[in-house]
Amino acid sequence: MPPSTQLTRFGKAVQGSSCPTTIADLDVLGELSDGTAAPQGIYGHVPFCFHKCHYCDFYSLVDRRDRQPMFVQRLTEELRLAGPYFKRPLRTIFFGGGTPTLLAAEHWRTVLDAVRDNLSLESGYEFTLEANPETVHAELLAVLVDGGVNRLSLGAQSFQPKQLEALERWHDPANVERSVKLARAAGIWNINLDLIFAIPGQSLNAWLADLDTAVALEPTHLSCYNLTYESNTPMTAKMRSGAIRPVENEVEAQMYEATIERLAEAGFEHYEISNWARPGYRCRHNMMYWENENWWPLGPSAAGHIAGTRWRNVPRLDAYLAQGSWPPICDVEQLDADGRVGEELMLRLRLIDGVALDRLDELLAVGQRGPQRMAAIAQHIDGGLLQRTSDRLKLTKRGLLLADLVLADLL
Amino acid sequence: MHIRNFSIIAHIDHGKSTLADRLLQLTEAVSEREARDQLLDTMDLERERGITIKASAVTVHHTYQGEDYQLNFIDTPGHVDFAYEVSRALIACEGALLVVDATQGVEAQTVANAYLAINNDLELIPVVNKIDLPTARPEEIAMEIEQVLGLPAEDCIYCSAKTGEGIAELLDHICRKLPPPRKPITDKTRALIFDSHYDDYRGVIVYVRIFDGSLRVGDKIRMMGTGRTFNVNELGRYTPAQEKVKELGHAQVGYMVCAIKTLDDVRVGDTITLDTNPAAEALPGYEEPKQMVFCEFFPATTTEPSGKKGEYEALRDAIEKLHLNDASFTYEPTHSEALGFGFRCGFLGLLHMEIVQERLEREGGVEIVQTAPTVSYEIELRDGTMVEIHNPADLPDLSKVVSIREPIVKLEIICPTDNIGDLMKLCDGRRGTFKSQQFISQTRQILDYELPLAEIIYDFYDKLKSITRGYGTMDYEIIGYRSDRLVKVNILVNDQPVEALSLICHRQNAEKRSRAILQKLRKQIAKHQFEIALQASIGGKIIARETIKSLRKNVTAKCYGGDVTRKRKLLEKQKKGKKRMKTVGSVSIPQEAFLAVLEQGE
Repeated sequence: MPPSTQLTRFGKAVQGSSCPTTIADLDVLGELSDGTAAPQGIYGHVPFCFHKCHYCDFYSLVDRRDRQPMFVQRLTEELRLAGPYFKRPLRTIFFGGGTPTLLAAEHWRTVLDAVRDNLSLESGYEFTLEANPETVHAELLAVLVDGGVNRLSLGAQSFQPKQLEALERWHDPANVERSVKLARAAGIWNINLDLIFAIPGQSLNAWLADLDTAVALEPTHLSCYNLTYESNTPMTAKMRSGAIRPVENEVEAQMYEATIERLAEAGFEHYEISNWARPGYRCRHNMMYWENENWWPLGPSAAGHIAGTRWRNVPRLDAYLAQGSWPPICDVEQLDADGRVGEELMLRLRLIDGVALDRLDELLAVGQRGPQRMAAIAQHIDGGLLQRTSDRLKLTKRGLLLADLVLADLL
Repeated sequence: MHIRNFSIIAHIDHGKSTLADRLLQLTEAVSEREARDQLLDTMDLERERGITIKASAVTVHHTYQGEDYQLNFIDTPGHVDFAYEVSRALIACEGALLVVDATQGVEAQTVANAYLAINNDLELIPVVNKIDLPTARPEEIAMEIEQVLGLPAEDCIYCSAKTGEGIAELLDHICRKLPPPRKPITDKTRALIFDSHYDDYRGVIVYVRIFDGSLRVGDKIRMMGTGRTFNVNELGRYTPAQEKVKELGHAQVGYMVCAIKTLDDVRVGDTITLDTNPAAEALPGYEEPKQMVFCEFFPATTTEPSGKKGEYEALRDAIEKLHLNDASFTYEPTHSEALGFGFRCGFLGLLHMEIVQERLEREGGVEIVQTAPTVSYEIELRDGTMVEIHNPADLPDLSKVVSIREPIVKLEIICPTDNIGDLMKLCDGRRGTFKSQQFISQTRQILDYELPLAEIIYDFYDKLKSITRGYGTMDYEIIGYRSDRLVKVNILVNDQPVEALSLICHRQNAEKRSRAILQKLRKQIAKHQFEIALQASIGGKIIARETIKSLRKNVTAKCYGGDVTRKRKLLEKQKKGKKRMKTVGSVSIPQEAFLAVLEQGE
């Protein structure tokens, strides 16, 4: 008897436990089958890297090429299993990592074939691949474009060697421009650049120089992240030990404000706390997260969300590769109605447009904490962190910088 | 029958308890089997720390030159925190054995206790103990005793309580050298209460020494200090086994039970007389024990800062129970904005405070948060009255205050000559006044200083030990109150005074102390949306300032599909942290901030 069947008996007892069970043990597949919940997109995780960067807390392994074929085989199997449950065409697919571009071209061909064979996509779909500027090459791009990939997200982070070094990020800044050109030549026009600011040692001017370099490459989309000290990263350990000094809070604020200003001048729309896009180029995949929609995970450590149930495939390649059928999962969470309202507010208010008042009324009518939330909203409107327009509730300009204070009160 | 009443006094660890055991054994009061270590000490804590906290009295017999001697041995606490108790015990005696370790020599408590005995007109027998140790220097130590205390070196008895060597000679010496009790001076009964303790079954047990007349079972007695009357239900003595008697006669020592419910009804030092035939005058020398060191105890709680009701009650029960056994500490309920409900307690001294805390934790099973100790202050007001305060927050309006007086101690340090310079520097830095300096031997000296008690209650002893690499010892005695340039420092958070953080200190140290407190606070208080001014002020004048800059940016940069749960939990944690804050004005101060400031040490 396979372990998954054995565990079914416990039903929801697996909630929140890290005990490896599978998605078949939850109600999720039933909700998919009867069409009550359909995922809008897929997130696929490619766990390979050639070096672990010091700020990164994503699941990744330094690549040993020998496991790529097995990984690809397992991933296509997952696609074959999940495909039949998706009752509507998908709007978006996103492969992140890790370093997806580290997967060999012939492997990508296999994966993309499986995508075509098992999934149906909406017309005008978005298909993004995360890329490391060091590993983008024409042959790979040709395979990707051929397989339907139409958006590239390049991890540029910074154009200055000193800052890349502080991040322990080893790529030649020149490769960003090279990658952008190669992608355009291959027919991918929709390109995002990831940038990081408030890197230890970075000045406001150094950051603005990075931003200008990025804008000059004419991407359709920019993600600008304040460096986050995630727990369990070497970066955080170094910060705690005093080996590196974080940028002053005041300077971070100035960098962020300058970013908002400069990108507005350059014609970008600021649509989420850390995201800017040319009109019409907002990232649909990420919008799906912030609008609290349903999506399906593929690959080790990938997280999914269907109708209030969140889970993640176990973040261990060995375990992912070992088991047949559905992969083992962990971190299963099914919040009560109140919890789900809090989560949706936390996500939606990250959007510059905020939440529609109609939807807000619906949310506040649910659960026990509605009155508390209303009081908190009123308080933050008074305090100048939230604003109510004729049809929406959103963060003010000052509120954007202090969003966590507001969001914590709305949970 | 001859009677000899005596005590043993010594510096801590010089072998007082072992010597007491050996004396009992040699008089065959205790069999070998019963002679567990330190027989007279009853509490675990005492045995562990090797200090005797509660006095007890034991009666044994010794035959000297063919005659029977009743020896009443009265045990005393070894530390001057208990000076009053020591002195009561000494008053009950005619003589004392001054025990000095043959390797360590004269130490600070040796001197303090010896003077206490001399001032009470006791005959002293110097005893050099531990002569069995290879490093023993008995003759040199005898010379030290002569040098420091003026007791002739040739009068010293050399012994080893451990091996028994010299003990028989010591017993003979007690009979020969110590004076007999004085004759009665009135036919009315007068008995001195020199100790008491609480027994769960029988109530308070009172230890008495009869000076005049006698006590019989059935007598109706009166405590002359409190005026309270009781019937004597039981009399007896410890040999060391408890032995009931019908009567305690002239000069005898023993215990009395008479249905006394609490220690508050019994005052050590009070005189007992007969209700029907009372003495005209009490025995001299009764004083209320005076609490000099104060601190607050709160239940240690990791969850709710205000202290769950249950935890506070557990602490209260533990304190009440301990108080039945030790009436010399005081307690009153208090409330701190930061730490919730607790108790402000007063102690005889620092060691006393430590012992009470340990006993509460050990015997009461409660965990305690202890605030930094403070001393009592006497405040002289313009209208001529005097108030005593134990808490800076209670200081009256300064416009009404003429002067603030603080307790002054006479400090005696015995240390290696090499360290004299550094120790003098330490004392001078603590507002000390040099009094004298005296050689004990070629390598050691006695240093006398007068300094404020407030200056030694923090870390003075630790500093002394580190300067002398453990060889220095100190003892102190409170000699009175003196006014100085003392000021109340208020701590302001965005212009709002926080009483729980105010302190009294010398004007000269005010800036330094304030800055240290403000810096601790700055580390503990999170940034707010506005700038926070942390200030220390004296009267209206700001003497120190730290600033917590405003929080300009607090936003999670990335929140994608896989981050949702984790980011939500981080925000929840942030929110929960907020709940455990105390709000002053619009500033949230975590409980830890108050603790960091109030906790012992600088």
